[in-house]
Order: sequence, then C-alpha cells, then structure tokens
Amino acid sequence: MTTKYAKLVDTTRCNGCRACMVACKNWNDLPVDPEEFKGSYQSHDKCGANTWNMLTFTEHVAEGNRFEWLFRHTACFHCTDAACVKVCPADAMHFTEFGTVNTNYDKCIGCGYCVQNCPFGIVELETHTDENGTEYELAQKCVMCVDRLREGDQPACVEICHMDALIYGEKADMEALAEERLAEIKERFPNANIYNPVGVEGTQTFYLLAEPPSVYGLPENPRVPLSATVWKDYAQPLGKAMLGVTTMAVIGGYISNKLFNKDDHGADEGEESNE
Amino acid sequence: MSSQQQTVKRFSKPVIIVHWINAVAFLALYITGLPLYTDFFSWMYGVFGGPENLRLLHRIFAVVFILPVFIILITDPKSFFHWIKQAFTWRKSDFQFFAKFPKEFFGGHVKDMPKQDFYNAGEKLNSIMQIVCAVILIGSGIVIWMPHLFSTGIIQWAYPLHNIGFGLAAAVVVGHVFLSCGHPNSKISMQGMTKGDVPVDYAKDHHGKWYDELVAKGEIKEAPKKKDKGA
Ligand code: SF4
Ligand code: SF4
Ligand code: SF4
Repeated sequence: MTTKYAKLVDTTRCNGCRACMVACKNWNDLPVDPEEFKGSYQSHDKCGANTWNMLTFTEHVAEGNRFEWLFRHTACFHCTDAACVKVCPADAMHFTEFGTVNTNYDKCIGCGYCVQNCPFGIVELETHTDENGTEYELAQKCVMCVDRLREGDQPACVEICHMDALIYGEKADMEALAEERLAEIKERFPNANIYNPVGVEGTQTFYLLAEPPSVYGLPENPRVPLSATVWKDYAQPLGKAMLGVTTMAVIGGYISNKLFNKDDHGADEGEESNE
Repeated sequence: MSSQQQTVKRFSKPVIIVHWINAVAFLALYITGLPLYTDFFSWMYGVFGGPENLRLLHRIFAVVFILPVFIILITDPKSFFHWIKQAFTWRKSDFQFFAKFPKEFFGGHVKDMPKQDFYNAGEKLNSIMQIVCAVILIGSGIVIWMPHLFSTGIIQWAYPLHNIGFGLAAAVVVGHVFLSCGHPNSKISMQGMTKGDVPVDYAKDHHGKWYDELVAKGEIKEAPKKKDKGA
C-alpha cells in the first residue's frame, strides 16, 4: 500500500479569513460564483462545481451561554472508500498515488452518478461549451491540487493559511498531530473531536472539530450509500454473469439442436409442403 | 398436403406492430445503455458523437419503448387484456411444461407435452418477466431522467434497480429471441408474429388448448389424422 497523504483542518485555529477560498479559485482558475446576500457571513451554501472549497459560518451557543462563531473550511473529503469512485461508470473518478480522489475530465461523461451518491454532497456538474458550440457536462470538485502535489508542493489552500489551520502531510503524521492538538484544546473545547469518519474508512481531508459534527451540519456516520454497494458490488457483476449464462445456454441449445434434432418439424414442414 | 397449409389467425396487425416497435426500442435502449453498464463499451461514445447524444437517444427510445402500451390500448385492447390475463393464469399444464421443456430445448422430441394455452407456459413466463422488467426499468428510468422530482434516497436506489432490470431483461430477451428464431422447433411461431397466422398443425402441437377452443368454436375443422410426427 502506498503512503496516504492528508489535509488536516483544525477548525479551532481558523479565523474565517477565507484566504483559502481565494487561493483555490486562483490556482485552479475557477470563475466566481456570485451569490445573493442571505443574512449570514457565509458566502455560499455549499461547495460547488466552481467553488471547490468554502467556509461555513455557524453561530453556536456553547456551554455557559458563550456565543461562538464556528468556522469550517470545507472541501472534498477524499474518502478512502469513495462513493464517487465506486459509482463512476467511466473510471473518471479515481484514486491518486497520494490516496486522494481526482477527476479525469477526458473520461467524464457527465452522467452525474457521483453527484447523486457523494455522502457529503460535494461534487457537482458544470456545463461547458466546446468550440462547435455543443454543450457537455463535467463533474468538478476539489482535487487536492494534485498537480501541485506532484511537484512536491502543498495544496494552494494549505500554503496560504496563516493560522496553521490547514496542514498537509503524510496521513499518519497528520493523525498524530490531530491527537496532539486535541489534547491541547480539550480544556477550552470539551466537545472537541477528530472527524475522520470510519464509515468511509477515513477521509484524506479530515477535521479537528470544536463541537460535535452535527453542529457543523456534518453527517455523524457518513457511508457509501447501501444502494451503491448493491448496485456496483452485486447487481452489476450478477447481471453480467447472468447474461453470460443465458448466452451460453442458447449457444449450447443451438449446437445440440444442430447435432441431434435432425427431424425437427419446423423445418420439415416447410420442405415437405414445397414438394 | 394442402391441409398442412391451412392456417389460423394468431396475432392481429396492431399486436404485431407494437411487438416490433417494442422490440426495436428495447434493442436500441440496450445498445445506447451499454457504455454505462461497463466501460468496455466506452468507444461507443465516439461512434454516437459523445455521451450527450447517447443520452438523448436513450431517452427518445425510452419513449418509443413505452408507446406500444398506449397504441395497443387504443387499437386492440382485447388482445392486450387477453395477453395479460393469460400471462398471469397458471394451471397445472403450465407447470408441467417446464419439466418437459429442457429436453425439447436441447433438441429432443417431447411426445407427451401437456396441452398448452394460446400462450404456452414459456411464453407466459417470458411475458411476466418482461412486464416486471419493464415496470422496474420505466419506473427507475423516470427517476433517473427527472431527479429533481425525487429525494436523494429514491434517486440512489433507482440506479441499482435500473441495472437489475437491465440485466434481467437482457437475459430474458436472449432466451426469447433464440426460442423464436434460433431454435428450430419454434421457428414457425415467428410466422405468427410476422404474418399473423400459423399453420393449424402448429397450433395443435404447441397450443393444444387453444386448438381445442378453435375447434369447439367451429373456427377450424379438426385436422384429419393422417400424418404421424416423425413418420
Ligand atoms: S485560510 Fe486558514 S484561517 Fe483562513 S479561512 Fe482558510 S482555513 Fe481558515
Ligand atoms: S467527499 Fe464526495 S466527492 Fe469527495 S471523495 Fe468523498 S464521495 Fe467523492
Ligand atoms: S459525472 Fe463524470 S465523474 Fe461523475 S460519475 Fe459520471 S463520469 Fe464519473
């Protein structure tokens, strides 16, 4: 197994400056996604095809009637057991040598299976127009700046973060760091926890949260949807096998008829009546 | 042997037409769906001018696939309901059919096949399977086509259901196609679905009960017993 790399998001250090959002748009050449003002500091509802990371702002009343802003940098989780990779029929969603999940735009057929099955609602389709004016769709999401990783650089958001709230490195090291920091902040944030959900065998973007996941609007136990497992691990292979078996029976039937069924009535009747 | 040429009407024009519309649509849906089933067929995107075109074609043929039900309900509802009723009526003779069938399938001759209905047990099974598959495929297909009308859970289950319906239907169709144009003993039944009539002898051999009904109604005269099979 190759070494996994991960991005630790320490929400307790984040001050909501959104430099990471800007850095991401900048590096990945993503157009702006203008949004209406919705009465909150939060800019977008969620990640989208052109907004690969964003900050959620949650107003929270913590113990002792203490008002808190909870900031969370959110992006693709890069699940170890990634639903998007599982359901993609074109092999466009794939794992990289870093253990992250990348999209291959040359292979993507815009079917949207990944959109419907991501347990975090991260990936989205974007409509593009080619030089002939034909429209086509592509699935887009955070790719952990895989091009930068291959050059030995850090993801753009990690590099820009001045609060040390985003840290990238070998997964094992990041997990150790998360534990270390958790111990440090336990007193100030008694509900603090590490969010690296086991239901999807851990994620390569994982969190040190100040409050329980649900407070941030995160699923407590995200998993690859059961329907996706039934579909890809059972129905599809079974269907292929069944098709194979029926075809074999037909071929077998055809051959044995040629061998043994010399006086078949269907053909005979035709011949006789011609005489 | 002129009595051999005596034929009896089996399927009406509307039945034949909708059957073939349905068959062509199924084949087209099958082909346009293949690359989504396994990327072994992804070269087809090139042939059809990209995934968008293939998706559009799949949806056009989906409509063509559903259309026959409405056409037949308008033009010949009697045949339609007769088919549905027969497909879901199972008697002892239908179950016995399957005990004898394998021998016939692999080229043997079954002398004591119990008398079969207008639709024999094999055709009934085929009909039921196709109806079930169609319901699964159309239901899940609508969800996949118009996901904004449904909740995430339903959309997520529509995919495996569409997949299961596809695998099942394809397997059934392979059998059905072979039995109607590949297997020598059923070859003549094809005539029923093309010209609309079949030789009286065929009706007697393969659909004994139907033949008896026809005789009882006086629509055909009892065929003279002059030719022994295989003699
Ligand atoms: S750059 Fe760092 S501190 Fe600023 S919003 Fe992003 S994660 Fe938070
Ligand atoms: S968060 Fe969603 S898009 Fe990202 S790897 Fe997991 S399943 Fe795929
Ligand atoms: S939209 Fe693209 S990436 Fe997503 S499942 Fe379909 S082919 Fe794969």
